[in-house]
Amino acid sequence: MVEFVRFIERPDRTAGAKGGTIHPLALAAMEQTGEQVSQQKGRGSQRFLQGGLSAPMTVTWEITAACNIACIHCLSASGRRRPRELKTDQALALVDELAEMQVFQIHFGGGEPFIYPGIWKVLERCTERELVMCISTNGTLITAERARRLKQFDPLYFQVSLDGGTPQTNDSVRGKGVFDRALRGLEFLATENHSLTVNSVLTRYSFYELDLLYEIAASFKAKLRVTRLRPSGRGQDVWADLHPTQEQYSEFTGWLMAHPDVLTADSFFHLNAFGTTLAGLDTCGAATATCCICPEGEVYPCAFFQAPEFEAGNLHEQSFREIWQNSMLFDYYRKMGGGACSGCGQYNVCHGGCPATKWFVHQKLSIKDPECVLL
Amino acid sequence: MSHSPVQYQLIPEVKIRREPFGGILYKYGCADRGALSFINSPQLIELLIASQQQHHGDVSGAIESSRYSEASKQKLYSILDDLVKRGYIHILPEMAEM
Repeated sequence: MVEFVRFIERPDRTAGAKGGTIHPLALAAMEQTGEQVSQQKGRGSQRFLQGGLSAPMTVTWEITAACNIACIHCLSASGRRRPRELKTDQALALVDELAEMQVFQIHFGGGEPFIYPGIWKVLERCTERELVMCISTNGTLITAERARRLKQFDPLYFQVSLDGGTPQTNDSVRGKGVFDRALRGLEFLATENHSLTVNSVLTRYSFYELDLLYEIAASFKAKLRVTRLRPSGRGQDVWADLHPTQEQYSEFTGWLMAHPDVLTADSFFHLNAFGTTLAGLDTCGAATATCCICPEGEVYPCAFFQAPEFEAGNLHEQSFREIWQNSMLFDYYRKMGGGACSGCGQYNVCHGGCPATKWFVHQKLSIKDPECVLL
Repeated sequence: MSHSPVQYQLIPEVKIRREPFGGILYKYGCADRGALSFINSPQLIELLIASQQQHHGDVSGAIESSRYSEASKQKLYSILDDLVKRGYIHILPEMAEM
């Protein structure tokens, strides 16, 4: 029998009221995007996501900010544990709440999830509540014993990060020696037949090693999962130097079409404007299909949009359900218009690209995606 | 009374959730990518939920025990073929060979 643990620090709030306030910069940026394209006119995934779902499909949960490595592009600027990180009993209560809302999957990230003291109890509770679990890990703390112990949790899969197919490329981003340690973690997980992906952020340097990354993943019977570099967290400092060029993106689109088994986490839908529809969602799912819970209980539209101005609420003050259903920030966010992209002939296939990238590069949401392939 | 030509069985890993437009089908998957579909037919979603909760995933059984018209049943069976292609439903082998 599952014991439901409740947060005891939360003040009472009136159920159903639109909660919180919106930072004036966020409000102005969202209002500048203009009128939302009507649901009737919307195409693809967007017509279902407009207005938001009853609950997220996937929640990214950065369960701790503590990390044993220091990637130069870390989107959450992880390193040390933060003072108000959720305690284990609070984390268990959150799992129960997400299960009751029928969230399908929790994607654990950080920081490094295996540094969080309560991670084993949280995974156990997720298994009891039949939530699909994905752990995004740097792989360096995976031991043979841990890999064996993790077999008790199901369904569980892993994303082990490698941001290059060689130690030189990977370690220039993730730190000295991390490539070899990540491979060792992959080996331990593969030995136990865990479901695996090798997760790789596409940079202008790792672009040349895609085939190598594909081979490395295959050697562990893993899928390669390539994701987009976002200029959030420490990524803001290196984005200009690391983000792929337009030519690389064009070639990458062809590469993806030639490798249909490569996963992308739906993060390259802005490339649909090249005229080739990639697999997955064709629109941003932030605040509609997904959202991000950060270590200290902050809830953001997505893992890439951890800007204080866009905090929708905090779990120390409100339940997750209250935030998802009643946050004023989310309410506005779900009604955003297409901004400068509204009249574009390709809007129906890319829906304007990534709002987080727009915000972190130019502090605006009404502009085109800085990596728009039509710029 | 009509009968399904084959037995359509909902895959156990498939999760179903009602939404105002109908619902979502979600199948966990890593090695095989998984699947996600937005279904804008509340009737189909209710049928699949009934299959899962009352018929142990037997979608054909759920259809045959329903009060749908013959035309509606045939339409539902044709939709199920699409869900087979998308990986949410499989056809039980022994029935398929009959």
